[in-house]
Amino acid sequence: MTTATSRTVNTVLGPVPADDLGVVAIHEALLSVVPGAEHAYDISMDRAEIFEVLAGKLAAFRAAGGRTVVDSTGMFHGRDVKLYEALSRSTGVHVVASTGLGPEEDLGGYFLTPQTDPPTPWPAEKFADLFGREVTEGMVVPRVERRRAAGLVATCATRGGPTPTDESLFRGAARAAVATGVPVSIRYGADPLAELQLLLDEGLPADRVVVGNLDRTEAVAAGWPAAVAERGAYVAIDHVGRNDSDHHIRDAERADLVAQLVAAGHAHRVLLSGNAIGVAKGHPDYELPYAHVLTAFAPLLTSHGVADEDVQQILVANPRDLLAVR
Amino acid sequence: MSRVNTVLGPIAAEELGLVAVHEHIGYGMPGSELDTQWWKTPEQRYEETVPKLRRFAEYSREYGGCTFVDATGICNGRDVDYYKSLSAKTGVHIVAATGFVGGDTALRFFADATVDYLMRQFVHEITVGIGDTGSRAGIIKVGVSRGFRMRELDLRIYRAAARAALLTGVPIFTHLAVDVEPALAVFAEEGLPLDRVLFGHADDGVSQGRVNETAILGGGGRIGFDTFGYDLELPDPPFWGRHRRERLEHFLRLIGEGHVDQVLASADANCSPLGWPGVEGHTVNYIYEQLIPDLRAEGIDDAMIHRIFVENPADFLTLTTN
Ligand SMILES: [Zn+2]
Repeated sequence: MTTATSRTVNTVLGPVPADDLGVVAIHEALLSVVPGAEHAYDISMDRAEIFEVLAGKLAAFRAAGGRTVVDSTGMFHGRDVKLYEALSRSTGVHVVASTGLGPEEDLGGYFLTPQTDPPTPWPAEKFADLFGREVTEGMVVPRVERRRAAGLVATCATRGGPTPTDESLFRGAARAAVATGVPVSIRYGADPLAELQLLLDEGLPADRVVVGNLDRTEAVAAGWPAAVAERGAYVAIDHVGRNDSDHHIRDAERADLVAQLVAAGHAHRVLLSGNAIGVAKGHPDYELPYAHVLTAFAPLLTSHGVADEDVQQILVANPRDLLAVR
Repeated sequence: MSRVNTVLGPIAAEELGLVAVHEHIGYGMPGSELDTQWWKTPEQRYEETVPKLRRFAEYSREYGGCTFVDATGICNGRDVDYYKSLSAKTGVHIVAATGFVGGDTALRFFADATVDYLMRQFVHEITVGIGDTGSRAGIIKVGVSRGFRMRELDLRIYRAAARAALLTGVPIFTHLAVDVEPALAVFAEEGLPLDRVLFGHADDGVSQGRVNETAILGGGGRIGFDTFGYDLELPDPPFWGRHRRERLEHFLRLIGEGHVDQVLASADANCSPLGWPGVEGHTVNYIYEQLIPDLRAEGIDDAMIHRIFVENPADFLTLTTN
């Protein structure tokens, strides 16, 4: 078995040693475009302006001590690989981009009602191939070229529970991860344990999966964060900074939750993120700095009795271990 | 003044020449752009497309020119800058469409949109331009999602299209003419005269028995025989194919019954398909190479052919506000 220190992570500029990642913002968005919004008559897609806004946010993250941002929005929600390459080069922040699709309502008709009779939606194996090639052959610039390898597969279930196509997406993501060694990020829809199990059934080890949305009120009430950690998967408390949502716990409660998970021996399974959106198109802006976890939430953890070494474990070691390609 | 919006600007309807009223430079379902199996280089795209358009222009000399109406909606690979270059270099007038092939080709942003928003999107593309191209759409595409049932989103698009058509004067053409009653109700409620609507694909193999021609014709609507050439006689026909003879007889029957001014014909071919293999050998030029000779052989005279391919589509495409 190779050690984490000799492993690499797929960034948009190519593989980098996992130990170089530093502090990682793990569940974020750079350019986030609701599918189709790029065609809207009243939405501007000024590339220079988008670059400037993103570069400013990445530079602020770096100035605060951050080193790596993970765009975990998949391949069809505004991902712009060449833009991310230029941003990474100019700001010095490592950018890890994701392949993957989901939930179902974000897919195009090509996957849902193909030109076949009957129009059967894509099965898991076709998604596995699509996502896997984005790792082995590179991420697509649609109809133009492939670039560097995707660093993870990101997918998401429909709120209320996975549709049959969501299930195909999850299974396809797991198969692609097994075949290529990159991890999978899922955002659960109704039942994180059952949805995680879809991936495990495909032979993906639990420690190759990060389960997002676990700071939803219902998730915390059900004890799912600890249950996911006990299964061996990473627990993403990924709405840090959101304190005005009825559906999520507040930061003070998040700090309590992290302290409990650490006390239960799960420090190596916790991930923190803000679900920050660099530039939003077709949906509301969400102006949270990428450094929010680092600058505002980490001190809160300390005041909740989480030891510095555990904070470092959570901000640096866990993302490194997750993202390192196996 | 009679005007038709083409990608290179408005032209007089008198300049349209022979019109292929439902065609595609290249069509792909949304998301197909992510699948490299369909990718082609720009060189290949032009190589596959330019000769077909040049031949279409050559065949059309006797008609004074020709017009290619592209039925590729928003999110389906519509590429207006490309169409402009093709039109400028080949002399074929190209009319671009706003709208959607069906609800199942409207990506989430539009699937979540209101009738009002969709109407503003269509009106903007017709009166201001499509994206940053400066080209104005000349027609609105609407349609029925896969499965032959009109869905709520399909109808939302139909209603927005009807309102945009009334405001701007462009016509509407549909993908599929099946389950047409809800569509007829929407057009009636919105007050759109049905001669502004071409109910398309009424001739395809899988729609037979599902198209209420009586209601469409009785209301004054136009019927699209616009999949000419997807013949079951082809070596590898698509699932919507039909026997050539059967389609031709169907078309002749409507003409024989006196509906010549309510039918339009086209080939629905892809010059270079974007997200599917296409049908080898099937091009817009089927109109000249097979259909018009077939019609002549059936005794349709030149004046009638002129009416079907020149006068009636010009009437349909002309911006018409009351
Ligand atoms: Zn068509």
